[in-house]
Amino acid sequence: MPQEKVEFLKGTLDMLILKVVAAGPIHGYAISQRIQQISRDFFQVPQGSLYPALHRLEEQDWLEAQWKDTSTGREAKFYTLTRKGRKQLETEVSNWERLSDAVALILRTAE
Amino acid sequence: MRWLRRLWQKSLTEKRLDSELQFHLEQQIAGYIASGLTPDEARRRACIEFGGLERFKEECREARWENHLDILARDFRVALRGLAKDRRFAFIAIFALALGIGASTAIFSVVDNALLEPFPYKDSRYLVTIRLHDKDQVDHWRGAFLFAEFQELMKQNHVFDAMVANLTDDIVYAAGDGNLRLAGNYVTPGTFEFFGVPPFLGRSLEAADYQPGAPPVFVLRHAAWVGKFNSDPSLIGKTFALNGVVRTLVGVTAPRFAWGGVDFWMPRSPDEPKLLSRDFPNYWGVVAHLKPGVSADEATADLAVIAQRLSTVYPKEYPKHFAMEVLSFSSAVLSPRFRNSLYIFLAAVGLLLLIGCGNVANLLLVRATAREKEFALRSALGASRFRLVRQLLVESFLLGVSGATLGILFAWAGVKTIAAVIPDFTIASETVIQMNWTVLLFALVVGIGTVFLFGLVPALQASRCDLSDSLRDTGKGVAGTAGRAGVRNAVIVLEVALSLTLLFTAGLFVRSFIALQEVPLGLQVDHVLTARIPLPPERYKTAAQLTSFYRPLLARLKSVPGIASAAETSTLPPYGGVRSEVEVPGKAHTEKWDTLFQLCSEGYFSVLRIQFLDGRPFTEAEVNDARKVAVINQTFRRRYFGNENPIGRSIHLKELKEFPDSLSEPWFEIIGVVADARNQGLQDPLWPEVWIPYTVTGSFMRGILVRTTNEPKSMIKAVGHEIWATDQSVAMAQPETLEYFLNLFTFAQPRFGLWLVTIFAAIGLVLVTIGVYSVIEYTTSRRTHEIGIRLALGAARADVLKMVLRKGLYLLLTGIVIGLSLSFALSRVLVSQLWGVSPYDRLTSIAVAGLLLLVGLIACWIPARRATRVNPSTALRYE
Repeated sequence: MPQEKVEFLKGTLDMLILKVVAAGPIHGYAISQRIQQISRDFFQVPQGSLYPALHRLEEQDWLEAQWKDTSTGREAKFYTLTRKGRKQLETEVSNWERLSDAVALILRTAE
Repeated sequence: MRWLRRLWQKSLTEKRLDSELQFHLEQQIAGYIASGLTPDEARRRACIEFGGLERFKEECREARWENHLDILARDFRVALRGLAKDRRFAFIAIFALALGIGASTAIFSVVDNALLEPFPYKDSRYLVTIRLHDKDQVDHWRGAFLFAEFQELMKQNHVFDAMVANLTDDIVYAAGDGNLRLAGNYVTPGTFEFFGVPPFLGRSLEAADYQPGAPPVFVLRHAAWVGKFNSDPSLIGKTFALNGVVRTLVGVTAPRFAWGGVDFWMPRSPDEPKLLSRDFPNYWGVVAHLKPGVSADEATADLAVIAQRLSTVYPKEYPKHFAMEVLSFSSAVLSPRFRNSLYIFLAAVGLLLLIGCGNVANLLLVRATAREKEFALRSALGASRFRLVRQLLVESFLLGVSGATLGILFAWAGVKTIAAVIPDFTIASETVIQMNWTVLLFALVVGIGTVFLFGLVPALQASRCDLSDSLRDTGKGVAGTAGRAGVRNAVIVLEVALSLTLLFTAGLFVRSFIALQEVPLGLQVDHVLTARIPLPPERYKTAAQLTSFYRPLLARLKSVPGIASAAETSTLPPYGGVRSEVEVPGKAHTEKWDTLFQLCSEGYFSVLRIQFLDGRPFTEAEVNDARKVAVINQTFRRRYFGNENPIGRSIHLKELKEFPDSLSEPWFEIIGVVADARNQGLQDPLWPEVWIPYTVTGSFMRGILVRTTNEPKSMIKAVGHEIWATDQSVAMAQPETLEYFLNLFTFAQPRFGLWLVTIFAAIGLVLVTIGVYSVIEYTTSRRTHEIGIRLALGAARADVLKMVLRKGLYLLLTGIVIGLSLSFALSRVLVSQLWGVSPYDRLTSIAVAGLLLLVGLIACWIPARRATRVNPSTALRYE
């Protein structure tokens, strides 16, 4: 259960979604579950942010979607990463790393 | 193409969005059940967590581009609803815009095709024709030159890149089953290279064709190939007997090539001049290509020097005082009267576009004022300026596009109509009247630009003005803010003035056309058939040879049932004869005496029903014996004999000495005097005229006049048969009724001008009526509240009516006064177009001012009357 609400930094949700989708075709519910699991419940992805983000990414051609049967036989929308999306992910990850390194450096040395 | 599919499958996209979110919800519920909750509890929690489903959906939708279309579509729906509610406004605005765009585009296209780019030729801007002006006489010039003169001009000039010349001749084509008369041109080397228009079929004339001894060839005009030879492509390479020479057809010109306006072109070669159907001195039409950077004035100066030299070599060809003139191609080909008309129409149409746009602008301003409150309210409720502007842009777009579409339709129909009714011979035969897309674009931009510019006014107001003021102003008793009302009134006054100018011009055209039709001709043109008869030159050179053809022909014609009388003639009324210097013994005079003379047979006066005032017509014997007798007209008698009796006196026609089959002693005894019949067309003053027996010389082109008892056209075949029976190698050219020619040469152009101006004036009047009506209607409706109060306080309905009409009357009268002064200032330009009516004609000015006032007052009266019908209690509540 959510202990406290953590706001996503601007743009980080998109990057996390891309990262999760990069592992293979996955539907919306599973994406929110994966993010929650991997972050050990640190991130709660509200549906109100998840779906507009998914649609935006699809509109930008970073994701593509297909309707497929799930293991339970129910039809669901599965997202996969496009080539453009993979490039975008790489850029965003490297940007993020440089940003977090810089932030960490300041936090460590500015005392 | 996914995006396109998505646009058409919006409901599917919507459904998918639903089921995606539904799936998520179900998974969530399943998750909670798995963690041990009861199904009901699981569903409840999942739903709470999910929150406002519709809001997510909207956010998802906004991520997708097609939803912006949705908003736009909504704007369109709102705009359509708004315009539908204000249907009268919408129709009037669209109609005014379309009329402005359509009329101006149509006429601009005609002017552009006929005046600015009439020729398909290479570098047609640099092409000029040359003519020689007799400075002692008005409008007396010669536009053609002896071949030797042409060669000298070509050799000695410093201003032209190239020069070519042509000579038109009547050619009889001996087809297997009869004769066909064609017009042919002899052309000089380089002609086709000069014009630079590639042929449609085969080849053009080439350098080798002009060499002495080259096989005779010719090139056929596209129109003749289509009209006379059924567009048969197998004719290339075939031979044709043309005036007795067997020529090979080598090519067909491009459709618009029409140099000289003839049916075909033959190379001039040195041994050819003797083939011509007439062998008096031949004059060649000359065209030249100006060197780059040389102006027409410089060319004129250069030619003046050469002409001075030539006048000493060929003294007979040059008048005492002369000047060379270099004319641009289009101005030389287009008749000057008609060119002026076109410029006037051009101005008229500019005015129409102005009036049309003025109307639209006014309507939009009016609407803007009426909606001031609406926009203030929307702005107050948080509509962004962008949103308001977008809404208005959509509205303007709808108006603009509808107006433009209708305008294009009008323009298209207008061009088609004008091209169909434009009279023959008023524009160059190369000219093709078609829609000019650049001009259409220009009119569209101006029209739609007006709509957008004035359509945005409410948005600008909404963002500028103080909201609370606008909201408090409920439109009661205030007829719009003073500044804007001023603009509106100015537009109306201007429209009235411009429209009055158009109406006045149209009125003058109508008056002058009526005057023209009432000119007494002095002869009767009905039931007269006429035809030119080009005779083969090798067999008909002398007077005796000519007589041997016409004498039996006239006898044959007179015996045909349905033919009352027939005569030979050398010219076609109402244009008379050849100019000649004339001497009357016993009359001393210092200036040159001129007359026209015609060669005719004894039946001439009875065919045309010309009245004798004195003496008698020729007898058949006098004509057949080629006696030197003459009949003169009243003008001749008055001018050269005064009060003396001319019968029995002699006159000397100098010109007859100059022609190949000349008379050594051209003295004629006057035996009769006829009443004046028009001989310079309808508009120009009469000349003295002399008729002499046609048998005295073999020179000059001849034809016949036949008075029929029934429909003259029905006799064409019979006349043709008699000509063929007289000489099987002869064919007549242009058989037509005299009425047709009169119509063509004298009435067609003025009638065309009349129609165009009248149509313009009518459109202008309609537009002005719309303008006056819309402004009065609007101001009145804004004053409904005030009028209600007045009525409630006991004002008579007549007072209200008067109050509204007074406002309209004031605008109309101001416009009319300005318009009349404008008309009088402009009508000086019109003088050349008018005939028999003063450019300041009082009747016309009173009539058009009255018409405009009447129509304007009706336009005011409708809203005024509605205002008086207002029920005071409704009016007081009215907003």
